[in-house]
Amino acid sequence: MSAAPASPPSAPPRDLRLDFFRGLALICIFIDHIPENYLNYVTISSVAFSDAAELFIFISGFTAALVYGRALATRGALIATVQVLRRAWQLYVAHIFLFVIFIAEVSYTVRTFNNPMYNEEMGVGDFLEHPHIAVVQAMLLQFQPTFLDILPLYIAMLLIFPLVLVGLRWRPLAVVIPSALLYVAVQVGNITVPAYPPGNTWTFNPLAWQFLFISGAALSQLAAGSRGSRARFLAIAAWPALAIAAGALLIHISWTLHSVWDAVPAILAHQLWPTNKSNLSPVRLVSFFALVTLVARWVSPQARFMRVAVAWPLVLCGRHSLEIFCLSILLSALGHFLMSEINTGFTMQLGVNIVGIAVMCLTAAMLDWYRAVQRVPVATAGQGTGSAG
Amino acid sequence: MNIRGRLFAGPLLAGLMAAALTGVGAARAEPEDCPTPPEMTDADIKLPLVGERLRAHQPLSVVAIGGASTMGKAAGSPDLSYPHRLGEDLAKAFPESRITVANKGVPRQTAKDMFRRFETDVFPADPALVIWEVGIYDAVQSTDVEDFAGTLKDGLDALKNRAIDTMFVDMQFSPNSATVINFDAYLKTLHRAGDLADVYVFPRFEMMRYWSEQNVFNFDDVPDADRRKLAARVYDCLGRKMAEVIRRAVP
Repeated sequence: MSAAPASPPSAPPRDLRLDFFRGLALICIFIDHIPENYLNYVTISSVAFSDAAELFIFISGFTAALVYGRALATRGALIATVQVLRRAWQLYVAHIFLFVIFIAEVSYTVRTFNNPMYNEEMGVGDFLEHPHIAVVQAMLLQFQPTFLDILPLYIAMLLIFPLVLVGLRWRPLAVVIPSALLYVAVQVGNITVPAYPPGNTWTFNPLAWQFLFISGAALSQLAAGSRGSRARFLAIAAWPALAIAAGALLIHISWTLHSVWDAVPAILAHQLWPTNKSNLSPVRLVSFFALVTLVARWVSPQARFMRVAVAWPLVLCGRHSLEIFCLSILLSALGHFLMSEINTGFTMQLGVNIVGIAVMCLTAAMLDWYRAVQRVPVATAGQGTGSAG
Repeated sequence: MNIRGRLFAGPLLAGLMAAALTGVGAARAEPEDCPTPPEMTDADIKLPLVGERLRAHQPLSVVAIGGASTMGKAAGSPDLSYPHRLGEDLAKAFPESRITVANKGVPRQTAKDMFRRFETDVFPADPALVIWEVGIYDAVQSTDVEDFAGTLKDGLDALKNRAIDTMFVDMQFSPNSATVINFDAYLKTLHRAGDLADVYVFPRFEMMRYWSEQNVFNFDDVPDADRRKLAARVYDCLGRKMAEVIRRAVP
């Protein structure tokens, strides 16, 4: 690219950590969505109580507050609201796209389910028996089979986000305290949100997960504030966070090893397992915030390791998270399909993982290139009319 | 290849002859036509109460609770289910004890539904052993995985409190379905629950996958006419393997 007129000097350099760690989350989501994948042993969920979902939702809240906060400050609440809702619409379209893929898979699978050994219980029941209802329920975000669960949460979060955004700007505590209280109420009262078919609930309970999204948004506002008090807080909080993260790491490694080799004891497995993901159990939340604290304390926004060539694909994936998320879901479904149709051998697994991750990174690179290319003519046209800057 | 070759050759002939002699129909599988690698049945399994009853030549009551595949519906009759075959094999192995295996399979039930049936379907039979086949419908319904784990724990606790020996049976393997139904999470949860409570999990999923991969059975393209027969043969194999595991647990 030729040296295009750079962004206005007032805008701070982009916090690479957001892109890098969201990219990491997307790769982990891809890997975790392939069942029986050996690489599952090295994703976030094997070293902490939280997993890629927490990371993805938290960073999404954080970046949403950055991007739309800027729109709110410069262009007003109405424009910011419209922009948020437009994003929610994009996510909705992506959700429907994934649903179509789901239908394709189900249709292919019908052959198997005609076998009486399976059809009694494993009919993709409600979908095949009441397709007219299931389709409508999917459009209403109520039908959330296998991998159609995280986008509904994201969409729900964006729908309330304009209010959150205005609230955070006006009086942050008026947003954060009710959000925390709602989270506590969910934990105490085990409140769930019903889904379709009757008896099911939202896989990611929005009443619990909203706290993480809003925390991300609130912290991004806070991060823009006074540096001194933040540094002091981090300097103190980093140590307990380190202890928690190290404890979680130790426990999880012991669990992983135990599952491979019985002789290794599974530390605290009786007390700490299972940890409720649907309601974002406090164990997960604490474990996740410990990691966030560590990153905030010891990883600088432009840290070197994120700028080396090897890290760049992750940053690119994180930068185009919506497209790459959808792609990762599609690829993991395809990869798993190949594995179950052909074989689950080591070579096959390796191939599926490498090809999948490569396709994600290449697509991200292409999207990035396309975005840059698209901007160039706009800039030159702007120069022509003399309204640049 | 070698292991399979050894497993197959002699016993297969013997099996065929036995089938001819006893006139058992094609639906009945014979000893070595569904071999498994030794580690699948070579389990460290503790069944103290069962051992006590059998050694004392006392009656042994077993309850198999589960879903459609416990019921044996796909084979057409409960007499062709794996609990039935298990009962037959155990009776043969321990002729001094009167052994009853009650089949409490009900299709389309989650772990929670089954746990609720303990009161009516399990405890009144005063079983020494409960075989809990669970997880398929939870995966199909995508029950919350943690809820599933919680129910399994509750169930195991209830059985343990009554000092009843317990074993799990995990899911059926089915090609293709895995892209639509996320069995993996439920499978792992079931095995972890068993591991934590020191309860044996009969590896049905692994076994069936092995048979599928080794072309012992073809679950993929089954002509309509052969479907019942296939189900009956698979259930029969499972029942025999289960009996084998239990026999080993009772010295």
